[in-house]
Amino acid sequence: MLSTLHPLPKLVICCVWVMASILIFDATFQLLAIGAVAAALIVLERRSPLMVVALMVPFALFGFGFLTTSVLFRHESDYALRIARETPFGGTALSAGLVLFLRAIACGMASALFVLTTDPGALVKAMMVSWRLSPRIGYSLFSAMHLTRDMASEAQQMRMARAVRRGRPPRRIPGPLEMASLVVPLLAYAIRRASRTAIAMEARGLGAVPRRTVFAAPRYRPADLVFAVSAVTLLVLAAGIAGSAPNTLSKIVSTCLK
Amino acid sequence: MLDTTTPVASWQDVTVRYPYQPHVSAGPATMAILPGERLLLLGPSGSGKSTLLQTLTGLIPQTVLADVAGTVTLFGQEVGARHPAQWASAVAQLFQNPEQMLCGMTIEDEVAFALENQGLSEPDIRCRVNAALDGVGFSSAQRSRRTTTLSGGEKQIVALAALLAQHARLLVIDEPTAHLAPAAASRLRRLLMAAPATQSIALVDHRLDGMLGLIDRVVTIDGTGRVVDGGEPRGFFRRCRGMLAALGIWVPLAAELDAALAAAGIVLERPPLTMEEAIDELVALPQPQLALALAVSRSFMPRHCFAGRDRGLPGEPVAVLSEVHCAPPFGPVTLRGVSLAIRRGERLAILGPNGAGKTTLGATLAGVLRPRHGRRTGALGGLCLQNPENQFLTATVRDEVLAGLDGAAEHADELLAGWGLAGLGERHPLELSEGQKRRLALAAVTAGPARPLLVLDEPTAGLDAAGEVKLRQRIADLAEQGRAIAIVTHDLDFALRACPRAIIVAEGRILADGPTAELLSDQALLARADLEQPAVMVLGRWLEQGLC
Amino acid sequence: MNTQNSWTLREILIVAAIGATFGFLYLGWVQVWLISQALFGPVTMDVMMGFWFIASIVAAAIIRKPGAALLAEVLAALIEVMLGSPAGLLLVLAGLVQGAGAEAVFAVTRWRDYRVPVLMAAGVGSAVFSFVYTWIRFDYGALAPGLVVAMFILRCLSGALLGGLAGYWITRALYRTGALSGLRIDRDWREARA
Ligand SMILES: Nc1ncnc2c1ncn2[C@@H]1O[C@H](COP(=O)(O)OP(=O)(O)OP(=O)(O)O)[C@@H](O)[C@H]1O
Ligand SMILES: Nc1ncnc2c1ncn2[C@@H]1O[C@H](COP(=O)(O)OP(=O)(O)OP(=O)(O)O)[C@@H](O)[C@H]1O
Ligand SMILES: [Mg+2]
Ligand SMILES: [Mg+2]
Repeated sequence: MLSTLHPLPKLVICCVWVMASILIFDATFQLLAIGAVAAALIVLERRSPLMVVALMVPFALFGFGFLTTSVLFRHESDYALRIARETPFGGTALSAGLVLFLRAIACGMASALFVLTTDPGALVKAMMVSWRLSPRIGYSLFSAMHLTRDMASEAQQMRMARAVRRGRPPRRIPGPLEMASLVVPLLAYAIRRASRTAIAMEARGLGAVPRRTVFAAPRYRPADLVFAVSAVTLLVLAAGIAGSAPNTLSKIVSTCLK
Repeated sequence: MLDTTTPVASWQDVTVRYPYQPHVSAGPATMAILPGERLLLLGPSGSGKSTLLQTLTGLIPQTVLADVAGTVTLFGQEVGARHPAQWASAVAQLFQNPEQMLCGMTIEDEVAFALENQGLSEPDIRCRVNAALDGVGFSSAQRSRRTTTLSGGEKQIVALAALLAQHARLLVIDEPTAHLAPAAASRLRRLLMAAPATQSIALVDHRLDGMLGLIDRVVTIDGTGRVVDGGEPRGFFRRCRGMLAALGIWVPLAAELDAALAAAGIVLERPPLTMEEAIDELVALPQPQLALALAVSRSFMPRHCFAGRDRGLPGEPVAVLSEVHCAPPFGPVTLRGVSLAIRRGERLAILGPNGAGKTTLGATLAGVLRPRHGRRTGALGGLCLQNPENQFLTATVRDEVLAGLDGAAEHADELLAGWGLAGLGERHPLELSEGQKRRLALAAVTAGPARPLLVLDEPTAGLDAAGEVKLRQRIADLAEQGRAIAIVTHDLDFALRACPRAIIVAEGRILADGPTAELLSDQALLARADLEQPAVMVLGRWLEQGLC
Repeated sequence: MNTQNSWTLREILIVAAIGATFGFLYLGWVQVWLISQALFGPVTMDVMMGFWFIASIVAAAIIRKPGAALLAEVLAALIEVMLGSPAGLLLVLAGLVQGAGAEAVFAVTRWRDYRVPVLMAAGVGSAVFSFVYTWIRFDYGALAPGLVVAMFILRCLSGALLGGLAGYWITRALYRTGALSGLRIDRDWREARA
């Protein structure tokens, strides 16, 4: 469902949500944002709830750093507290770390939603049509975005080749040393692939004609408007709920801790 | 109107030297392609065919750095006058390695890319993309798949569709059939045959059995890249068979038979290009000659089928798959319930259509790829990957073979020379011609640590006749030592010569398992698996029918 | 050939590839940093900061044209955000500042000198720029002056070593793989050896 939407409104909406998460320093709002993204992924995209939870893990790990930092080191919590006081919806947060923790997850999930439901090809095409992005830059971005996806299978190929040479079957999951030893070969692969793509694209005439057609570019449809309006409404609602009962969650947590 | 005298493309004393190389890599070459002509460029591996083709639109030296001397002219204009991209509307190019061609888009976008760059209208592009993909037989369900998830042959098919969709005046095609199943290669031939007469084609290929009917003229270059001879194909192969063999260039089987008959004093009226043509000629012979021709043909047969003792069956198994599900890395399961055992000294051919899962099965058999379900027993085998580039881990050719040789440096040079790679020891493995890369990969794997099992994935792709002879001989040596060898291949003539046993993989399982010659004479089975009878078997069938 | 400062398609694609790969690696480094920070305290950030400058060093050392350092660093930050870096969109700004720091040093050499000291200086440039940025963002003025000086020195050292020197090592290792043939670095290094 979300994957069939036009990438640009989706991009703008996701950015707006991320911005809101950064500006609204409030645990309730962050929780609502996380819930909204998770619900969108589960209901609209039919992803399994387990997968959505797994998705949160890396962001949670990152966010956990904020939590510990703000609990253990005064400097960061000072900063966070100050931010908390400055933001209009903030109020006096007792546990700024918790908000930072949730914010990390909320921002991460909003970006993840976009990445998971958007095809880089469609994104680049849309940018070339709507934002007049130059095809050279567009296709460079395109191959960069795909590169990160193809890195895993290339690494697997290399591990197979090494296993053959060593005579030991590859381990199921590479250890940290093996991973480190793959950095330079993978970088070399990335550069080689870029060189090769350049030759292929020039051989097939990229940049020969000033006005290039964009084939099967995504088109705007009523669903995009529906999505944009409902996403913004939801955002306003969430902000409203957070504003009417500022930091209820933080209060509950801190009372429990006491 | 069609001007048939001014060439569409010509090379005048062209030599190419790659940067920092002591010697010239290709040329001096002087040749031309006439309008509407279908030219075949023959030459041993590493002679500079791909290099010369890439000078045609100025990719060399404008995008790929190299020193080019002499003049290349395209449609009457000096090629350097335009950027390579600006020639793309008139010249469509297929690179030798399909991975070099594709940019990681979806299949459909990949075909549309060149058309977008020409600024064609969208409905026009849609129409051409559909026609091209229908032509090569890609179902519409697959068209939004990314090309990085395709099998080697499927990649080549997509690259070909992209080439054909361009409707360019000149097609430059470098080894289009190396990874295609025989039936897919035939489809391609029919597509090229149907090309309009105004379209010129420059073709390079090693394995040509089907392609020759298409060709108007052959040009041969020798190992140093100099043009040595050429002409209309029928007469050419009869006249120059000896020279071609000496250069290590592949000669069609029908021309070999023609020569064998000539040695016995029978001169066919029309030099045959295919086995079918040869048989037509033979049938028309008067009686005393026919009997002699039958005798010659019968003695011709065994030279091109597996001969020698088959020591495979009695040995103990070196690798066993039992009820295994095979899947490519990060891909879905492609083969289900596979049970297969390979024994000491056995030579097994793995055949089947493109995308059937042969590569996946090969890697699973070697023990490199974990089965998704079921068990594999046996020690880890050696594996030569379908794309040799994926196999190179070091920075020089010598290090690549040394990795297996336990440091015996003198031995390395000897080994390289044996595979026709003398003098390339210091070169980076990726700065070789495609055939040289293949030979390097084969040299490294077959000389490497003594594994009980070796799996070779498409070992003949990119090899010239000399390379193939070397490969067959090496395989025979290894089998003699008791090593088991599994060969994934589309070259059925090669399979027939090298392997007494074959399996056919199709429809998500092992469709058949048995003696190669037997499987390859089962017409119904071949049709199901996108295979075609190899040229020798065509002759064999005729001989059998002649007997009854 | 290859003398002007206009970029070829190959070079643009290579910078994009470098940006993407390092964006990926940066995200991994974030995890390492978090663990160390939990163990050793807040100054850890300054010690480890240098690695986040490495994309600009490597890209500049390979491409050797104006803008390479800046572009690679911004792209790496963009990819990091796309891959879901929790630091959010502000990371792109940080990338811009860090890339500009390295670019400024290369600009001083008029984009002609890419020897190790210059690369290390570029790492220091990134460190200085990023220090100013974090000063404003995290209000370092409120901290004890001694601590700020220590943080500044540590960050510059980290920029020189983890950014400049490690960037040089990676570039050299890449050069050995042959992937850089035909690029400016290839020409310069061969000339230097001849
Ligand atoms: N990038 C490169 N740098 C240096 N030398 C190269 C490079 N590419 C090819 N060569 C050399 O140039 C010569 C011609 O190579 P080319 O690829 O044109 O051969 P080819 O006739 O197409 O061979 P094949 O049939 O194996 O594809 C070979 O000797 C090869 O080693
Ligand atoms: N990463 C992947 N994701 C999805 N599908 C894949 C992936 N890799 C391979 N496949 C599919 O798995 C099937 C088997 O691939 P495999 O490479 O084993 O085919 P093959 O028989 O070797 O074909 P070919 O003769 O063309 O080399 C193909 O249909 C291919 O499209
Ligand atoms: Mg070639
Ligand atoms: Mg295969």
